[in-house]
This record gives sequence, C-alpha cells and structure tokens, in this order.
Amino acid sequence: MIQNLRTEVKKLLKDKKVDIVLGWEKGSLPLSSTPLIIHKEEDVDRLIFDETCRNNLTTYLTKDKRKLGKIYDKIGIVVKGCDARSIVLYAVEKQIKRENVVIIGVPCNGVLEKKKILQKTDGKEILESKIDGKNVHLKGRDFDMTISLNEVLCDSCLTCRYPDAPVHDIFIGKPRKEVDVKDEFKNVIDFEKQSSEERWEYIKEEYSKCIRCYACRNVCPACYCNECFVDQNDPQWIGKTPEVTDSIIFHLIRNLHVAGRCVDCGACVSACPVDLDLRIMNKKVEKEIKERFDYTAGLDINEKPAMASYCEDEKQDFIMG
Amino acid sequence: MIKIKKSEFSTFIKNLQKKYSIFAPVTDGKATAFKKIKSAKDINNKVLNTKRSPKEIFFPQSEVLFQYTKEGMEIPKRDEKPFAIWGMRNCDTKSLLLLDKVFGEAHQMPKKDMYKDPYWKEKYDNCLVFNLACNEPLSTCFCNWFDGGPFDKTGSDIFVVETDENYIFEAVSDKGKKFLKEFKITENASDKEIKKIEKLKETAESHFSEKQDISSLFSKTKEIWDEPIWDEIAAKCINCGACAFVCPTCHCFDVSDEGKGNKGKRIRLWDSCMFAIFTKEASGHNPRSQSTQRVRQRVMHKYNYFMDNYGEHLCTGCGRCVVVCPVNLDIRGVIKKILDYEKN
Repeated sequence: MIQNLRTEVKKLLKDKKVDIVLGWEKGSLPLSSTPLIIHKEEDVDRLIFDETCRNNLTTYLTKDKRKLGKIYDKIGIVVKGCDARSIVLYAVEKQIKRENVVIIGVPCNGVLEKKKILQKTDGKEILESKIDGKNVHLKGRDFDMTISLNEVLCDSCLTCRYPDAPVHDIFIGKPRKEVDVKDEFKNVIDFEKQSSEERWEYIKEEYSKCIRCYACRNVCPACYCNECFVDQNDPQWIGKTPEVTDSIIFHLIRNLHVAGRCVDCGACVSACPVDLDLRIMNKKVEKEIKERFDYTAGLDINEKPAMASYCEDEKQDFIMG
Repeated sequence: MIKIKKSEFSTFIKNLQKKYSIFAPVTDGKATAFKKIKSAKDINNKVLNTKRSPKEIFFPQSEVLFQYTKEGMEIPKRDEKPFAIWGMRNCDTKSLLLLDKVFGEAHQMPKKDMYKDPYWKEKYDNCLVFNLACNEPLSTCFCNWFDGGPFDKTGSDIFVVETDENYIFEAVSDKGKKFLKEFKITENASDKEIKKIEKLKETAESHFSEKQDISSLFSKTKEIWDEPIWDEIAAKCINCGACAFVCPTCHCFDVSDEGKGNKGKRIRLWDSCMFAIFTKEASGHNPRSQSTQRVRQRVMHKYNYFMDNYGEHLCTGCGRCVVVCPVNLDIRGVIKKILDYEKN
C-alpha cells in the first residue's frame, strides 16, 4: 500500500499536478507521526501511513493561509475518511475550491489514542513499540506487553461509520466501505440518562482542567474563523483566565459553532494536553443534528449544511413546546 | 549527607507541615501537577515530569494584582505561611533561577535598579525547594544539552536522592542547611549509601542519548534570523499555546481588567507568543501576524534573546513541550535543524 501511495504522490509532483502534498512521516516519539509537507520528489520516501497517523492535516488548508510558507495554488493531501469529510466541509462552506485540492484517500483502520495507551502502561513511558496486525507491542524500562489495537484506538475511530474518503481523486488500496456501527451515540445516550445535576457536575469538573491553550481549537478543521471570539478584545466576550465559568463558555460556544460541521475526527481530543473529555458535547450536538435534520457533516459536497438551510417540515418542538 | 527512612516519610511530611504548606506532585484524575497536599499519601514520587510545570506555584496562570471599588483599591492578602516544594526535578529548579532573573532579584541583571516583581518575590523568598534526583530520566529529557543533569543540584535548597530504603538529603543552599539543622534530621548516610548514589547517578546518565553540543546555538540563531529556514520550521506548527503553557520557563503574560458595576480586578495571566493576538496592537496592526514570525519569536527568545539579556538559554530541557505538541514539532529537532543550517 505504502509503495503505491508513494508512487502516486511522486507522479503528482512530477506531472506538476500539485505544488505540494500533505502527508505524515514517522514522528520523534514511539507510536507518533508528524505532518510531512512534501515539496520535492525525494521527500516522498519519508511518507508513511499507519495507525499512528493521527493528525487531521486538512486544518492546514484554511488557517493562516501563509502557514505552509506561501500560498499554493494546488495542494495534494493524503486523507482518512474523517479528514476527507473536513475537505467536503470546506468546499461546502466555500473555503477552498474543490478543484484546487487533490484528495488522495487511504484505507483507514483507525488511529491510536496515545492517552489510552498510557493508561494501559500505568503512565509509564513507552520506549519501543511495534504495530503488528491487530496488536501493538509496547516495551518500557520494566514492562513488555502486547495489547489489542481495538483497546487503544481513538473513541472516534471505534464508532466511525465512514473510514474511506467519501470524496477523493485517487484512492490507494482497498476501501473498507461503510461500517455498520450500532452504538455510535452510546456515550451520549449514557450521558443523557444522568440527571441534569450529574451532567452539570461532570461538565464543570472536566472543563475546570482547561488551561486555555486552544490546542483543541487550532487543530480543529471546523474552527477556521479569522478571529476567534475568545481573541476579541473590544468588546471582550469572555474572561481570559482559566476560571471554569469562562472555560465552559469557550467550550460550549465552540460546540455550538461546530454544530452540523464537526466530523468527529477526534483531533481535539488527542491534542488536549490536559486530557479533557471534549468529545461528549460535540457528539451530543451531532446526535441532535442527526435526529432533527437527518444531516451528517462532510458526506455530500452538494448538500446544504444543516445550520445554513431551512425546511418547513423540520421538527420545531423547541419553539412550539 | 543525612537520611530519613522511606518508612518514616509520612512522619517527615507531617513534621514539615507544622511549619510549611507543602506542594508536591499529585496525580489528580488523569493529570499530574504540583498541588498543595494534605498528607504524604497524596504525593506521587514516581512521576518524573508533571504535566503542568511547578512555575504555576510562583507565577499562576491567572493572578489578581489588585481589586478596586469606587472607594479605592487593595492588593489581595496572601497566605504568608512559608511553603516547601517536595519532588521538583533539576529541570524545574533550574527554571526557577531563570524566572528569578526576570521577576526577582537577578544575578546578572543588565541594570541594577530594575523592577522587582513583588508577587513573584514574596513567594520565591518564602519557599524551600526539595530537588528529587531523577533515577530514571525519560526519553524526552534533554537537560544534559543545557548542562543540567538527573543528579544536578542547581537551584535547589535541599537535594534528595531516593534509594531502595531511604531518602538521602544534602543541603545545597544556606536555607537548606538551616532547615536540616532546625529540623534535627541527623542520621548520617553510610559510606555504602553514598557509593550507591554514585551508581544511581551513572545509571541515570546512561539513559540519555548523546549530548548535543549547543555552544554555537546563540550565534547561529542570530545569523539566520531572516533566513527561509523559519518557514520550514514553522510550517506544521498550529499555533496553540500548549508548549508555552506546560513550559517551566515561558513567562510572557497579559494583563486583563475584569470589572462589573463599580468594582473589578486587574489580573495578570499567561500569554503565549504562539497566539495570533500576542502582539496585536490597539490600532489593529500586528507586527507578528504570520505564524512563522511567532514560531521564530519563541525559538529566538529561548535560545538567543534571553542569552543576550541574562547569559543563559531560556530552556532547561525538561521535554514537556516535546510530549504535548499536538503535531510532534519536536524542539530538539528544531535545535538540530538550526545548528545544521548552512547559510547560502
């Protein structure tokens, strides 16, 4: 698979179909990868794709347009299912021209959540690792263990319905097709069963850990406002301290702002340096959108987004009681 | 060198608490940080680098400088009880010395009569630092690049080595010497135990990969300030503040007024040069509007500007930023790239 991917990417660069290609290369830590920005053919051999390719690289397509050094006309990008859905989101929201992006789909079996792995090792540092089929071998100074990949995949991957890029120009390898997921919203349903006091306590406790580094916002493909409301000074919408009330306002407004746009790629969850449960509220909003508008973000480039369209037969119980 | 038995650790902490409030590494849910403890049971002595650095004890993420009403203003009262920090590692104790150059009584300050920050000073002067040696450094540790080490004592009052049965204490500063005398900890460590420390030190040091020679880092960073290498370095940075907020030496801050009705407060809070609004001026102009400029600022501040002002690098090689960076932009790789860069 990886050889085919490299050959295709080399071809794209050689034929000048793209200026650069975004992919992943091996990271500096065990079980890590890091974004690779490929300018030249000789860099292509560093390209990898496996369960460590966590980052949703589409975030580089919109934020701070000069981020990649300069503005490129044509960008090739290697994508998992969720990443491709972010590109659909960009096209729908007119942030990119579809024809300026060459989407290279790869078959995704899910990506690893390092935080889950560290729970397995009891916080002990992993010094060596190897992914082998459905297992991952971990070695540290005083442990040596093999765990099933399924136990340490991102929560988003465990309930992922669309592992293949729904829109692509090239697809490498064999697509996995749509996965029949039965308990996609299990975490939300369990959460909804709790009393409002319990839910409030949970939210307060989680968001009180927030250090307002905005890693969640900055890795998020759906968060591309030129100026985020938390950065505005005049007027200043919320306090800048890590007081829990302000942190909750930040996170809940972000939740609502990505309503019907979040593709559940899980980038925010992995990026958070203090391990907040950032997924529960996003998934809750996703469930609401699905139930009310039968809409799933990032699947169809021609479909109007749920929050930017109106149908007369929409459920209106929130108004009419 | 003197010792206390590990079995007597909780009694030691209890005695210590009679005079001091104690901060120590605490695992709270999923994260570890230095927090005020109730008893020895709360302490996690196994954790190497806490996720959040202990700088927040002295320089909290947000700190009320003063409160005001229509009638006047007041500076919030603080807990004046002296406090001790148990379990700091060398990278963190060294970072206190670096921060003290900025906020406190500096050793190599450019001007003698420079401002001393009372909020920092009253805490720093009121504190006793126990530096716990790192018997098993992490693969992300690179304190040796900055002449620190798992058994280096710089910046501590009392240096502590954990052996199988004991904690061996060595007073480093006058404050530390006074403390050991005052607390009558007098059981001497045996020669065998002192030898054991040497062995632990050797083992710990053997865990490090090769030391990078950074002697030319200062001149190199100056040389390449306007070179295209910065675009390459910054390309994958997503400009979040995770690195700066876990860093024990990053100390840039913002000042914010929070007022309601006829009262309010002025707060000092952490800022990060990674943020787009970091240097945005009231006019709307932003001298560092591009990501590249901001990444360069962080690297230059650490490895050039601070050296220029205070004679040291603003980095102790704790490796926290290496661990948390969402895109694995490894600062060690950045340093190597800069050192290897050949100007055309």
